[in-house]
Amino acid sequence: MIEGARWRRWVFFYLPLTAFVVSLLFPFYWMIVTAVRPDNELYRPWNAPNYAPFWTLHPTLEHVRDLLNDTLFGTWMLNTMLISLAATAISLFCGLLAGYALARLKFPFAGSIGTGIFITYLVPQTLLFIPLSDIIRNFHLGDSPWALILTYPTFLIPFCTWLMMGYFKSIPKELEECARIDGAPRWKAMLYIIFPVAIPGILSAGIFAFTLSWNEFIYALVFLSSPEQKTVPVGVTSELVRGDVFYWGELMAGALLGSIPVAFVYSFFVEYYVSGITGSVKG
Amino acid sequence: MALLSDASSGIAAGTARRGPITRLLEDERRLGIALLAPTVILLVLFIAYPFVKGVELAVTDTRVGVPGPYVGLDNFVHVWQDGIFRVAVWNTCLYTLVTTIFKTILGLWLALLLNRSFRGKAFMRAFILLPFIIPTVLSTFAWKWMFDPTFSVINWVILHLGLMSAKLVALTVSAVVNFPHFSQIAIDADLAPLFGSGRINWLGDPTLAMIAVIIVNVWRGVPFYAISLLAGLQTISPELHEAAAIDGAGPWQRFRHVTWPLLLPVTMVIVLFSVIQTFADFQLVYVLTGGGPANATQLFATYAYQIGIGTGLLSQGATISLAVFPVLLFVVIVQLLYIRRVETT
Amino acid sequence: MGQVDRRRFLRLSWAGAAAAGAGGLAGILASGRAPAAGQEQTVHWVRWSDFVPASDQLLKGKLTEECKKATGIKLRLETINANDIQARVTSAIQAQTGPDVIMSLGNWVQLYATSLADVSDVAEEIGKAQGGYYNVSKMVGIYKGKWVGVPWAIVGGLVAYRKSWFAEVGYDKFPTSWEQWHDAGKKLKAKGRPIGQTLGHTFGDAPGFWYAWLWSFGGKEVEADGKTVALNSKETLESVKFATRFWTDCCDPGGLAWDDTSNNRAFLSGTIAATANGASIYLEARKKPDTYQTEKGAPMKDDIQHAPLGTGAGGHFNLPIPFTDMVMGYSKNQKAAKEFLRWVHSKPVFEEWFTSQQGYTDGATKDWEKDPVWKVDPVLEPFKNLPEAGRLAGYAGPPNQKAAEVVTKYIIVDMYAKAVQGMKPEDAVAWATAECKKVYGA
Repeated sequence: MIEGARWRRWVFFYLPLTAFVVSLLFPFYWMIVTAVRPDNELYRPWNAPNYAPFWTLHPTLEHVRDLLNDTLFGTWMLNTMLISLAATAISLFCGLLAGYALARLKFPFAGSIGTGIFITYLVPQTLLFIPLSDIIRNFHLGDSPWALILTYPTFLIPFCTWLMMGYFKSIPKELEECARIDGAPRWKAMLYIIFPVAIPGILSAGIFAFTLSWNEFIYALVFLSSPEQKTVPVGVTSELVRGDVFYWGELMAGALLGSIPVAFVYSFFVEYYVSGITGSVKG
Repeated sequence: MALLSDASSGIAAGTARRGPITRLLEDERRLGIALLAPTVILLVLFIAYPFVKGVELAVTDTRVGVPGPYVGLDNFVHVWQDGIFRVAVWNTCLYTLVTTIFKTILGLWLALLLNRSFRGKAFMRAFILLPFIIPTVLSTFAWKWMFDPTFSVINWVILHLGLMSAKLVALTVSAVVNFPHFSQIAIDADLAPLFGSGRINWLGDPTLAMIAVIIVNVWRGVPFYAISLLAGLQTISPELHEAAAIDGAGPWQRFRHVTWPLLLPVTMVIVLFSVIQTFADFQLVYVLTGGGPANATQLFATYAYQIGIGTGLLSQGATISLAVFPVLLFVVIVQLLYIRRVETT
Repeated sequence: MGQVDRRRFLRLSWAGAAAAGAGGLAGILASGRAPAAGQEQTVHWVRWSDFVPASDQLLKGKLTEECKKATGIKLRLETINANDIQARVTSAIQAQTGPDVIMSLGNWVQLYATSLADVSDVAEEIGKAQGGYYNVSKMVGIYKGKWVGVPWAIVGGLVAYRKSWFAEVGYDKFPTSWEQWHDAGKKLKAKGRPIGQTLGHTFGDAPGFWYAWLWSFGGKEVEADGKTVALNSKETLESVKFATRFWTDCCDPGGLAWDDTSNNRAFLSGTIAATANGASIYLEARKKPDTYQTEKGAPMKDDIQHAPLGTGAGGHFNLPIPFTDMVMGYSKNQKAAKEFLRWVHSKPVFEEWFTSQQGYTDGATKDWEKDPVWKVDPVLEPFKNLPEAGRLAGYAGPPNQKAAEVVTKYIIVDMYAKAVQGMKPEDAVAWATAECKKVYGA
C-alpha cells in the first residue's frame, strides 16, 4: 500500500493505473463503437463538424449480421479453435516431456539438445515458409489443418519447454526421491507425482501456446487455400478487405468476435497463468 | 507427507517385475533421450530440415519454379550492397531496441501497480491482457483506422485537447487579470486556426510512421511484460520489503535494492524472448504501413517477404532472412551471458 | 448459403479430408456419399476479391451452375485479397500442388512463366474471335513466343473528380496539361479541397499514377534493349521537379501513407477533389447514394466525373493492369482448365460477367469497346478504350522479371516520394538510377 496522504495514492497509484487501463483498452472500445456504427457515420472525416468518435446514436447490428451471413466466419472460428487446441496439446506434450528431461535428468548431449531447441526459436518464419511448402507437399498435408497443427509447435515448444524447465527445477528433488525409495519406477514418479504439482505451469504454458496459435498469420496464409479451411486472421483479412474497400464495420466485428474465445479462456485461467509463471520463475 | 507415501507405496505395489521397457524408462540416460524424442523429431522435421533448405536457397540463384545453380556467397554480397536492405536492418534494430526499452519500463511500472491489492484486481488483470490476446493482424487494422490521416480519432483528440487547454489557459488568464470582456472573448474565440489543420500525418511521415509502429508494438507487448513481471514480483517475499522499511529505506530505495535485483533474472528472460520475437516481427508492419513510406518502416522480415514473394526471387528473400541471423545470434548470446552472470551472483 | 448447408459442407469436407488419408473405399464410406460414376472434373480457380462484389457473386452462383450444365466441369472459385495472390502462387509452384487456374495481375505472369502451361491454342482462338488483343495483354501473356496465360480483362485508371468543385475554380472542362492541373489544384487546395494521390507502397494506385507521370514527361526506365538503364535523363529530372511543386501546392500530404483504399475513402468523405483510381469510387457512390452525399446534401454520384490523366511534354499515357488467367504447369486438370477458359470467354458467358462489372474493367480484346454496357452510364464511358494508351512497367523494355522487381521495390514511386519529402531532385533521380542499375545488372 502506498502510505501517506490520499493525494499520494491518487498521484502514484490511481492516476497511472487509470492511464494504463485507458490506453490499453481504448482501442477495444473504439472497435466496439466501429462495429456497431452505421456505414454513413463511418466515413465521416475527423474534422467534419458532426464527428462523434466516441459514441454513435444509431447503433446497428448490421455489420455483425453481414459478418456471420456473408462470410464463413463461423467455420473459421471452428477451424482456428481446433487447430489451436491441437497444436497446444502437441506442444504441451512435447514441452512437458522435454522440460522434465532437461531439468531433472542427466544424459549425454543434454546441454546441446537444450541449446539446440532454443536456437530453433531464432529462425525467422520468413525463411522457413518456402522450404516448408515442400515438406507439406511431401506429406500431402497441403490445404488441411494438419499443415498448421504440425508446424505451429515449432515456435511453441521452445517457450513451453523453458517454462516447464523452470517449473520442474523449483520442485525439490526430495519429492521424487521419496517415491523412488518406496520402489516406484522413475517414470511413474514423474507421471503421478511431479506432473500434478506442475499443473499451474502446464496451464500457463497451454494458455500462452493457445494465444500464439490463434494469432499466427504467415503459415496459415500460405499453407491453406480453400475458404472453408481458413483461420480467423487469414479469413477476416482476405474476405473483408476487398481490393479498394475495407469493410471496417465487419472487420472490427470480426476482430472482436475472433478474440472472444481466447479472452474467455484467459478469464478462467488468468490466476493459474500468473501463478504458473511465478512457479517457473522461482526455479 | 503421509499422503505422499501412500501414493508412492501404491505405485510401488503395482510394479513387480521389471521388463526391458521398464529398464529403459528407469535408466536416466535412456529416459531422457526418450522423453526428448518427440520434440527433437518435430523440430528436426519442421525447422532443421527447412532451415537447411533455406540455406540452400540462399546459396543458389533460385526463382519461383526455377531451380538455379550454386552461386556461393554472391547473394549475400548483392544483398549487402542493397541500400534498402541496409535501411531495413537499421530499422529493425531501432524498432527492437526502442520497443523493448519502453515495454520493459512500462511493463514493470504496470506490474508494480497491479501488485497492490485493490478492488477489482482479478478482473483488471484479465482485462489488461486483451491487447495481447487479440490476433495481431486484427488489432493492427483497428490501429490503422485510428491513425488514418483522413479519419483519425487520435488527431481529433489531440486537436480538441489542444483547443481545450488553450481555452483553459485563456480563461485562467482572464480570471487573473479580471477583465470581464476578456473572459467572454476567451470562451467565444475560435482558436482552431491557431492549431493549423491539426493533421498529424501519422503513417505518411517517415518519423511518425516509425513512431506509430512502435506505439502499436508497445501497446501489444506491455500486458505480456506486465503479467510476467507481476508473477516475478509475487515471488519476492514481503518480509524483505518490511525489513528494508524498518531499516529506514524509502519506496524508491526499496525498489532499487530489494525488488530490482530479485526481479532481474525474470526480466532478462522475458526480454530475451521478446527481443527474438520483435526482431522477426512481420504482421504488424505488413498491415500498418507495408514498409513505407519510402521504406521508413521496412523491417528485414517484411523486406524478405516483399522480395521473395513479390518478385519471385526466392534466393534473395532467403538471403535477406539469413543475413540477419548472425546479428540476432550475437544479441542473444550477449543476453544469455548476462543472464548467466546475474544468476550466479 | 444457409447455416445448415455450411455445417453439412464442413462436416463432409472434414470427413473427406480425414478419409482421404485412410484410403479409397473407406473414404467413400466415411463421407457417406456414393462414388460418382466416372471422375467428375473440377477446376479450382483463384481470383482476386473483385472490386465489384456483384461480379464475384455472379461467378460463384449463376455461372458456376451454368458451367456444370454446359461443360460438366465443376468450378471451384476462390477469391482472395489481391495482395495475397503472389504468396499463394509461390507456395503452390514450390510445392507443385494447388489451384489449377490462378488469375495474375499485371506482369506477374512473366515472373512465373516457366511454371505455366502452354495455352496458345485457347488464347489465339479467343483473340481471333473477338477483335484481337490489346498490346498490353499480348506483352504480359506471351513468353518466348508462346501464350502462357489467357488474358481475362484489363483494369485502367482515370481521374475521378468533383465536377462542381472544379467548376468553382474556373475549370468547367477538366484540366488537360499538367500545368493546368497545377493551377486548378493550387486553387482547390487553398479552399481545403486538395487533389489526393498516393505515394505509398501500394501495388495499384501508386505505380498507376507515377509511372504514367514519368512517361508523360518523356522519361523512361530502360531502353528498348531491356538492359540499359535510361532513368537518368533530363526528362526524368524535370518530372521530379514538377512533382515536388505539384505535391506541395496541390496534394493532400497524407497521400504518403495511403494504400489503394485510402483515396477511395478520402474522396467519398469529401476531403479531396480528385484522384486517379479505377471506377470503384463512382460505383460505390452510385450503390449507396444516401451514404455518400455532397456537402449540400445531394447524392455524390451526380457530382463525379472521370477524365484522363494529364498530358505532359512526352505525351499522355496510363498504366493499366492486365488480368491473365494462368493454367499452372503442375495441375492435373489442364485439359479441363483449358476447356473451362474456352467456355467462360465465349461471348454470351463473358458478356454476363462483363455487364456485371458495369464498366469497371475493359475486355482484353477490342470487341468489348462496343459492348452495350458502356451506354448504360455516361459517367463510366471514358473507361472503355483505356488500354490503347497503355504502357507497362519496364518501358521501353519488356515487362519482364526485372521490371517486376523495380515495381516490387517501388523504386520509381520512392523516387518521387523522396523528392517530395525534401531530397534534392537530382539526388532522388541518382538514387533511383543506381537502384535500377542494380536490378538490371547494367
